[in-house]
Amino acid sequence: MSNYDVIVLGGGPAGLAAALAASDNGMNTLIIERERRLGGILKQCIHDGFGLVRFKEKLTGPEYAQRFIEQVQARNISVLMNTYVIQVGKNGAGFELTMVNRQNGVEKMGAKALILATGCRERTAKQVFINGTRPAGVYTAGTAQHLVNLEGYLPGKKCVILGSGDIGLIMARRLTLEGAQVLGVYEAKSTPSGLSRNIVQCLHDFHIPLHLSTTITRVFGDDRVEAVEIAKVDENMLPIKGTEQIIECDTVILSVGLIPENEIAEMLGIKIDAATKGPVVDQNFMTSVAGVFSCGNSLHVNDLVDYVSESGEIAGDSAAQYVRENLSRELVDIQIDNQDFLYVVPQHININTSNKKVILYFRSREVRENMRVTIRSGDNILFSRKYVILRPPEMERVPLELKGDLISSRPIEITMEPVKDKGVAL
Amino acid sequence: MRKSLQALESRVRKKISPDVSLREWHSSIVLEGTVSSWDELYTAGKMCANQGYKGVVNKLKVKNFDVPKIKKPQLYDQALQGKRVDVLIIGGGIIGCAIARELSKWQLSILLVDKEDDVAMHASSRNDGMIHPGIEPKIGSKKALFNVKGNEMYTRVAQELDVKIIRCGSSVLFDNRWLNLAKPVLSIRAQKMGVKEVTLLSREEALKIEPNIGIPIAGAVHFATTGIISPYKMTVAYAENAVQNGAEVSLNTIVLSMQKEHNRITSVETNRGTVYPRLVINAAGVFADMIADMAGDQFFSIHPRKGEIIFLDKKKGELINGVIGKPSLSLAKSNTKGGGVVKTVEGNILIGPDAYEQPFREDFSTHMDHIEVLMKKHMPLVKGLSPADVINYCAGIRAATYEEDFIIERSEYVANLVYAAGIQSPGLASAPAIAEEIEKLACQALQEIMEVKPNANWNPIRKSIPELSKMDFITRSRIIKENPHYGEIVCRCEGVSKGEIIDAIHSPIPALTVDAIKRRVRPGMGRCQGGFCLPAVMKIINEETGLPMTAITKKGNNSYLVVEETKQTHRPGGESHE
Amino acid sequence: MKNLICIECPIGCSLQAEKTGEQWDIKGNRCRKGEQFAINELTDPRRSVCSTVRTIYKEVPRLPVRTNGEVPLQAIFEVMEQINAVTLDHPVHIGEIIIENVSNTGINVVATSDLYCLLEAN
Repeated sequence: MSNYDVIVLGGGPAGLAAALAASDNGMNTLIIERERRLGGILKQCIHDGFGLVRFKEKLTGPEYAQRFIEQVQARNISVLMNTYVIQVGKNGAGFELTMVNRQNGVEKMGAKALILATGCRERTAKQVFINGTRPAGVYTAGTAQHLVNLEGYLPGKKCVILGSGDIGLIMARRLTLEGAQVLGVYEAKSTPSGLSRNIVQCLHDFHIPLHLSTTITRVFGDDRVEAVEIAKVDENMLPIKGTEQIIECDTVILSVGLIPENEIAEMLGIKIDAATKGPVVDQNFMTSVAGVFSCGNSLHVNDLVDYVSESGEIAGDSAAQYVRENLSRELVDIQIDNQDFLYVVPQHININTSNKKVILYFRSREVRENMRVTIRSGDNILFSRKYVILRPPEMERVPLELKGDLISSRPIEITMEPVKDKGVAL
Repeated sequence: MRKSLQALESRVRKKISPDVSLREWHSSIVLEGTVSSWDELYTAGKMCANQGYKGVVNKLKVKNFDVPKIKKPQLYDQALQGKRVDVLIIGGGIIGCAIARELSKWQLSILLVDKEDDVAMHASSRNDGMIHPGIEPKIGSKKALFNVKGNEMYTRVAQELDVKIIRCGSSVLFDNRWLNLAKPVLSIRAQKMGVKEVTLLSREEALKIEPNIGIPIAGAVHFATTGIISPYKMTVAYAENAVQNGAEVSLNTIVLSMQKEHNRITSVETNRGTVYPRLVINAAGVFADMIADMAGDQFFSIHPRKGEIIFLDKKKGELINGVIGKPSLSLAKSNTKGGGVVKTVEGNILIGPDAYEQPFREDFSTHMDHIEVLMKKHMPLVKGLSPADVINYCAGIRAATYEEDFIIERSEYVANLVYAAGIQSPGLASAPAIAEEIEKLACQALQEIMEVKPNANWNPIRKSIPELSKMDFITRSRIIKENPHYGEIVCRCEGVSKGEIIDAIHSPIPALTVDAIKRRVRPGMGRCQGGFCLPAVMKIINEETGLPMTAITKKGNNSYLVVEETKQTHRPGGESHE
Repeated sequence: MKNLICIECPIGCSLQAEKTGEQWDIKGNRCRKGEQFAINELTDPRRSVCSTVRTIYKEVPRLPVRTNGEVPLQAIFEVMEQINAVTLDHPVHIGEIIIENVSNTGINVVATSDLYCLLEAN
């Protein structure tokens, strides 16, 4: 049985960054990837906008991925492609993975530390309670993107899109460019979910209407989609009777959210945060199981791949440190008010560490303007900043230096209060 | 005791509409006239049922409403033109396929036809997979008889056909009100009906079997013979075994009309040509009455009773061990199944079904208000279930007659016609027993006109496609070494390999659509519902069959998945929008 | 008066632009970048175009490409037409020019993935 210091599950942007960091720290590293090529979902994200933060360039998904793939190849990091992990368990001080592929059948490997970079999946029609018939022509945006960009097929000619998240907006543009007609984008919330950049460049540029506070409730058509029923929704996003309308179309594209994939994490009994649907971690991205690290979209759904790479690097560095010296942890909880915040990652801080630099990521629950966000430990204020606007679709990143006395019995609190005076730019 | 036709007629006229008339035909009551709603149509028919007549033929029309015509396959050719067969089975649900398999024991040319693109497309793939113990049907009914017998037979047949069955048992929960009623009634009933292994459980005992019961209970009745199975896998297995033993299956084949001479069917017209059968078996589900009518022998009517079912994530599967339900108002008279919570063989939890009368025979659409009622009614039975666990829902249509019982008999008036009709719940549980009975009746009918010899090469054993994800690692590795396709995982939610998908494509009833493959080997049934694996499955179909991607469908006919290649026209961009 | 959303940073200020003579008057921006953005967007809006080209290879039927710079917004569909007319019959490296000076914009269309690697992997 082969043994590695660090095994990374997933060869997308998070996994690639994690493997590079682990390897640069002298770890014997392996990436296990279930597809034929590295790059994860970036392979089909042929649009640009990636890397603005990290490289100060506007790259396409494949180009961004290539920057990391090149480095993985240059450092000769081991990669197992077309391989699928079917079981993971603790094995003494380390872990044993069971995997399957064409060449070797079922084989086992050992690792001292594991980095989970397994990405996420798309929410389905049934999960948002779309009823009616089940014809061909209902796709989640990612599947439609795969068909158009990798296989070269148009899923339909007359499309409606549910969900104004970035993936839905990107597909509105993509489908239009490739010859389909996008009749409209429907969004159940009262504000759009995607980045403003995409609203402009994917909808306004092509005169595709955005209908807020509207959802798709039923699909019609026996063999193939023939129409959908849309309806206005109330503050609880429930359809309002009497507002229904029928829209004729042949394709329904769903962009109704991403769900982190954590089947492997669950096999290990890792504690999952119900708000993020990803593992509960400390600032080193170690989960509740010592030696298992989480990064990227399987930890929490990110908007910018630059932060995905950053989380991978942190996980990789931390995994290496863990392999070198497994220190016990002293965890301080981070508390948030669920009325104000959707979530914060990490969920605890390990104060028994030499690394005092911490990066926190959080999302506001609602669109809020002119808020002051404060991070404190008792009376000790660790961070305070005014935000002109906070939006749920835009994740905030807070670099923090842990100073002063932190004790595990005193949680760190993050709060937001309205600012009296009008704030200055960030 | 037979009620007078006149008395019935005046009762119906009074309660429903004066515009209804009753007449007798071949011992059945025929209702004719116009009513103002489907409810009235159904109620009128119900009023005439079980009044001492053979059946109810409901020819009533609803004002300003036309029932949609039967959906025909797009295919049209002469592939079956002039074909002479000993047995023509109309209907490829579990009943038709089970009959074909039993009849293949004999040296007979058997042709099974179904208008859909695959077997098991209607009720047989739209039910909860429960093999009922047999306690619920009316004592003395055919349902009761065949359910108990079928339940007993299932272990053997499932083993022969290599289909997984789990005798999980069912617990019917009682609160205090019911408990005292339950004891004597159920034991007597169980004894009368031949239902074995029925035990009355105290609250503590019930919680030991099902620790996550979420409602207060006084006790439960446990039926150890209850089983669960995949109903469509069983149907496919029956059909494949029939084909392996010489039967022929023609899909996308619809029966359009029949010709008779004297009292025998001489020819049957289909969209693929005219067939000349010695014997016709009517296993046509929701359309069995229309087939009977084609033979001039309609002595019953089907009123389609719809039911919706919800599927929950496998993750919650560990919360229950078998089937959990609550008793309906009266075990004897209820037709609408109470439904419950079922753990499927795959480990998903199934909730439902509900039951409601409606006019559409092949409308499988679901409705949010029904889904909500089902969740509200059944989720509380088990602690820890919530709407967030829902991964899918679907609907099925029961082929119910007004008498609410199976029709398993030779036609009284057409010498070479046999009925396996009106098969609603407990149809799945009864299927093996029904098939053997029809086998007997069919051979009886055939022996009147030919010699029926046994098929010396009959092999009841059928092997299913290997399920790699369920194997031990050593066996799995060995199989992959022999065929590396089994090592390439395509559907990662369910762990399905390329090899299994290829097997499905090349199986005795070839699976050439995405849904047909899904039914056989499961890609697309997991939590992402095919989001990741759909393009891969399509490519495998393309590689194995040569079908261009634009010709690959979800479920046959017009259900194409992609419209065209991109870059067909050089001019992109749609028309101006609203 | 024109309304537009600035996309220079995540704040996404709502801008109002008014033209008097040759002068643009921009309101609603919280920084200077917004003012410049609005003027550019109103006088010479430009966009990058990302798409795919057809190839002759069955295993890799499409190769992702993009414009190496921004082309006029009005020229997007023309650029797409040119991109769609291409059928790549030889492998290319990332960054290689697929179409030079597409639609006379002065901008090239380049490959964003390495077709050699793609063909090898498949």
